[in-house]
Formats: sequence, structure tokens, C-alpha cells
Amino acid sequence: MILAAVDVETASAYAETAGRAMGLGLGTGLAALGTGIGLGFIFGKTIEAVSRQPELKSEIQSIQWLGFALTEATVFYGFIAGLIAFFV
Amino acid sequence: MSLAARKYAFFAWLTVMTGLLMNPALASAAPEFSPEDEFALPPYVSIEVFGIDMSINKAVVYILGAAILTTVVVSLIARNMKVRPDSRTQTTVEIAYSLMKDNITDGNLDPKMAARWFPFIGTLFLFIWFSNMIGYIPLPLNTSHTMSIAGIEFPTFALYAATANISVPLVLALVVTVSYHFEGIRAKGVVKYVRGWVPAGVEGFMVGPILLIEVLSHIVRIISLSVRLYANILAGHLLLLFMGGGLVVLLGMGLIGSTVLGLATGALAVVFFLFEIGLVATLQAFIFCTLTAIYLDGAVAEEH
Repeated sequence: MILAAVDVETASAYAETAGRAMGLGLGTGLAALGTGIGLGFIFGKTIEAVSRQPELKSEIQSIQWLGFALTEATVFYGFIAGLIAFFV
Repeated sequence: MSLAARKYAFFAWLTVMTGLLMNPALASAAPEFSPEDEFALPPYVSIEVFGIDMSINKAVVYILGAAILTTVVVSLIARNMKVRPDSRTQTTVEIAYSLMKDNITDGNLDPKMAARWFPFIGTLFLFIWFSNMIGYIPLPLNTSHTMSIAGIEFPTFALYAATANISVPLVLALVVTVSYHFEGIRAKGVVKYVRGWVPAGVEGFMVGPILLIEVLSHIVRIISLSVRLYANILAGHLLLLFMGGGLVVLLGMGLIGSTVLGLATGALAVVFFLFEIGLVATLQAFIFCTLTAIYLDGAVAEEH
């Protein structure tokens, strides 16, 4: 009943808003999926490396933070792309 | 200041902040809430030079704040250095110095390059760090929403950071890019430097495509370096904005629903706030400078 009351222009405006929102949500969400896997790898491998070579802990940790920051940034590329889709 | 006095000062500040947040005039004065307003930049003083907008706005105030803190704080502490540190401030600065000197520059550059570029990388680190950190202090700079105290309109408290605006990290990334290309050309000369982008062993018709990919990678470096810093800080601020009340206002679920949701997201906001000031602010300054050092080293390295 509601569908019949909505004309084509309003419907396409709704569709555009929905598409933008999906772009933001999917962009960030899928980026977060990959980043989560990547971060899990980094911390898992660090634990593995430190348990093999405990004397290299501080060295491994500084590389770990480098890897953490580089990997974590990828979620924000998706997020920024989503924001561009949403606002621009 | 003694510890007890500091505690009282902190609680007084907390009380004032809570009072301001719960100001009923504030709640009623903001009927329409849109998150992007938090990042709007209304000019405080309008300046236009040859048609270019050079107005002083919130971002300019934050950049100036970070620049002044970087120069004043560090030079004041450097002037009152003691062999046996008796203040926690000096110890903190020494930790930061050791991070910049031993970890970022000496760890990635050869001694001659490290000595030459340490001042630049150190300043970059401190500027980004101060800029990130003052971004987490609520300051009364939001002029788009005002609150009235005793009949006078005051700007409301808001979080903002110069680094949460793409133009600031972009300019920093461009400075870094120009610096490492300059250093590479100085070390090897233009032809040898550009030839050095192509890995050894690539011959004949493959040189063109590989060179194209390398040129693209240098352009992507600018984007990744700037967007990494910008998006980290922006996302952190958005998260705090939504968790610290934005979500409650947007959803508008009535008194009980809002209270429950507000308490839950408020607790999360505290956790994210600690995460941001404890890790992200420092880590992003660190990563920006480490990558600067790596790029500088890559530009002068003999082998690709």
C-alpha cells in the first residue's frame, strides 16, 4: 500500500540514499574483515616468534607495532572510500 | 603541584566538564544533530589574499597550538636539563628522544643520514604527536553550537585535531616526498636516481612498464602516508563522537532506552578514549616518522 503511494522520483531518491549507506557500511565492514585477519596474523606470529626467541622480544615488538599500524590503516582506506561514497 | 592538589584540580575539572555536558540549555539548544558539523570549519577571522581563503579557523588554531607546544615545551625542557632527572617531565622527554633517535632515525638510516635528518624527523614526530594529543582535550572552540552561561554565548566544547583534516597530513606527506626525492637526487644525480627505481636485472622492453609501476608507487606513497594518519585520527574522533552521545541523540529511543544505550556507549567511549590517547596518537606519529626514515634510506641506498 505504501509502495503505491511513492512516486518514481521519491523512490529513486530513497534508493540513492540506501546505496550510499550500503557503500559506507559494506566498504568499512569488508575492510574491517580483511584488517581483522591481518592483525590476527601479526599478533599470532609475534607470539610465535617471541616464544621461540624470547631474547629478541623488544626487537620483535617494535616490528610488530610497525606491522600493526600498517595493517590497521587498511580498514581506514575502506572507511574513507565509504565516506566519499556517502557524502560526495 | 603536590599529588593531592593535582587530584583536586582533576576532580574540579571533571566536575566542571560534567556540569557543562549536562547543561539543559545545551541539550535544548541543539535540536538538530549532524555528525559532520563537528568537523565543519567556520572562520573566526576572515582573511582573503588574492582570492585564496586564508581565514583563521578551528584547524588553524590547532596547528598553531601544536607548533607552539612543539617548540616551546621541548626547548624549555632542554634548557633545564639535569644530569640526574628530578622531574617526570624530563624523563618523559628523554623516552621520546630515545624513541626518535635510537629507534626511528638510527634504526633505519646510516649514521651520516641519521645525523642530517634527525632534526627534521624529530620535529615531525613531536608536531604530529602534539597535534594528535591536543585533539583529545575538549576545548571551547565549537562556534557553530553555542551555550549561554549568565546570558553570554560561549562556544561549546568539542574535540578536533588538525591531523583529522586531510590537508595537514597531505602537506606533511608532500614535504616528506620532496625531501626524499631531493636527497636521492643529491646522492646519485637525476638519471642514476630514476634508473635506481628499476630493480637490477630488469632489461630491455620491461624497463618501461616497471618504471611506470615504480612511479605509481611513489604517488601511492603520498596517498597512503597522508590517508593513514588522517583516517586514523578522523575515525578515532568519529568513534568518540558516536559513543560519547552521538548515537543516543541520533537514535532517540525515549528516556529509558536512551539512558541504557548512553551508559553502555559511554563506557565504550572511555575505553576507546584510553585506546586513542594510549596507543593510536603515539603510534601514528611513530609510523609516519618511521616511514619517512625508510623512504629517505631507500632514496639514497645503492642497491634497490
